[in-house]
Amino acid sequence: MNPDFEQERRQRLFQKAVRKNRDETARVLETLRNREDYRPELDYFLNLAADTSATAAEKRSGRPALRLLCLQAPLELIHAAGFQPFKVFSGSLSTSTLATQDFPALICPLLRAVLGEMILNENDAPGLPWVLPTTCDWVVKFPEMLALTGHPSKPEFHWLELPHLKNRRDSRERWLGEIWRLKEFLEQISKRPIKRGALLESIEIYGHAAEILQRLKIARENGRLSSVWFMLILNAFFLDAVEKWTTRAEILLSALTAGRITGGRVFLAGSPIVFPNFKLPFLFEEAGLSIVADDLCSSERLFPGKTFITDTSVFGLISTLAGRYHQGCLCPVFADNDRRINNILGRRTNASFHGIIFHVLKGCHPYDLESFSLENGLKAHGLKFIRLETDYAPEDGQNLLTRLEAYHATLTDK
Amino acid sequence: MTLKAGLDLGSTAIKAVLADDEQILWRGKSPTRPGQEAVGQSLIDSALVEIGAPENAIGGIAVTGYGKKLFSRPDGRVDEISANAAGLFRLSGGRARTIVNIGGQDLKVLFLNDQGRVADFRMNDKCAAGTGRFFELAARILDTPLEEFGVLSRLAEKDLGLNSTCVVFAESEIVSLLAAGTPKEEIIKALHTSIARRVAALLGRNSRGPVWLDGGPARNTGLLEAIEDELLTEVLVLEHPQYTVAYGALLALD
Repeated sequence: MNPDFEQERRQRLFQKAVRKNRDETARVLETLRNREDYRPELDYFLNLAADTSATAAEKRSGRPALRLLCLQAPLELIHAAGFQPFKVFSGSLSTSTLATQDFPALICPLLRAVLGEMILNENDAPGLPWVLPTTCDWVVKFPEMLALTGHPSKPEFHWLELPHLKNRRDSRERWLGEIWRLKEFLEQISKRPIKRGALLESIEIYGHAAEILQRLKIARENGRLSSVWFMLILNAFFLDAVEKWTTRAEILLSALTAGRITGGRVFLAGSPIVFPNFKLPFLFEEAGLSIVADDLCSSERLFPGKTFITDTSVFGLISTLAGRYHQGCLCPVFADNDRRINNILGRRTNASFHGIIFHVLKGCHPYDLESFSLENGLKAHGLKFIRLETDYAPEDGQNLLTRLEAYHATLTDK
Repeated sequence: MTLKAGLDLGSTAIKAVLADDEQILWRGKSPTRPGQEAVGQSLIDSALVEIGAPENAIGGIAVTGYGKKLFSRPDGRVDEISANAAGLFRLSGGRARTIVNIGGQDLKVLFLNDQGRVADFRMNDKCAAGTGRFFELAARILDTPLEEFGVLSRLAEKDLGLNSTCVVFAESEIVSLLAAGTPKEEIIKALHTSIARRVAALLGRNSRGPVWLDGGPARNTGLLEAIEDELLTEVLVLEHPQYTVAYGALLALD
């Protein structure tokens, strides 16, 4: 093939993706701003969503952004080392098109979009290594996939070997070792030790954020905050300093007025939903369904809640964090994940939902597999269950809406 | 006389049913095209003329189907799955518990409770395999009217394996079979079998009692036999299986 022709073709594809990506983001932001429940206190989060790059997160937070895939690396540790934890995820359909050529057709749409964004923003905060826990196969193969794109940054990856059994003692010990190695790695790249005081301070800062997250959850449960806004706010969590995000969320909470949920109350489980791909949240609303709680790693499960410390030594703090980010994680890559069902049933007490929507991103095999056992387990407790398998493309919107409307009707029938 | 009208604004056809109380007086359809509200309204107008009812006899219009939101001011709007359940349950005399609906671009399996409400359902995703669209495509390639599929499939002498129910792949497979001299009858029978397998996969092990088949392709006796053969259970079809959803919509006006 003529290299000039190929170069020109790639350049045109790139320009097209840039334009489409800009339009895609702008369209969703405009839809959000035009909602009846929009209020000015949400502008901060909308502005964060307008630029989700690591460069923007660095500028806003004043810290170098350390990229993470998944959620098993303790954020407090990264923060205490002086970095801005930056979870890499993307919901952009338009950037996905840049990463279609070298991969299987059923690649995880989220990682395809991440690869596309990497290609699109070649100069976005290069330099720092990434932290990758060995969660699903797609994540494990991510460095290979990135290399196949020919991306010029060629980042280093610090692996966290995640034990997929939570309830075994040797697994817990291995994981603790991984977190100690992460600490050493962070100290090495920051060229300074992580001190006990800094770690305690970071735990307190994230603890406060966790309290605010709890209040946001309650606001959603009682209808003061819609699920669409809730998801946007949580999606924006890594795009600015945690303290600023927390303050702005507090301001928003103070401004929210009384609300009421009129539609069917449901719990959302499964694969993450990432801005600007808000196809499903908008369809839920159109079908008259209200997501009052969820366990998505892009939303409620973005960080595992407040850390309670009994041993304030560095050893005690690291052990506590390691335990929380491993034992507390409900990702379906774990073999012993029975607590997942109990967690959903436990949320039922406060959130009073009647059904479960289980979202499977096409190609997300761990969630896909887990949906079947979860369906059986939850139906046995009288909860209505619907499984939606989809990707970022909008073409199946009508099909999904038909199912959601019928599902809504079943919620009211006993 | 106060009549109720139910409109099922589907992806390939708009179906209308007029009923006096719950007694069906008229049913008719028209291919889906732009201006769905006008098409639906003209069906109702035709119905009124045919049954000799005055223009103001319509007491309420309920809409369902993919185009239901294109109808500006209906008296009722209901999702097609609930409408399907309500319509077939009533028309089956309260006997239906498991329904397989083959629509223009989707395939649904419904499980009803004893009150005729949807207890659970399954539906294909955006793939058109096993839907009315698939049959239309096959009819075009085979140059055979759909109405003849049932009779022709009975004439097949051999059971042929069709590898794909994918609309795209099946097209090339059918063309290859025709080129190899395979009789149409055998291809049609193989099509029915492959769709029946897809229905069985969607249904799983969940059916209760006989399966009620509706939607346009339910008139295809060859398909019905193939589904019966695959499910190893009785498959029942009403006289007018295309209109159960429209009828179910008008029941929502109660």
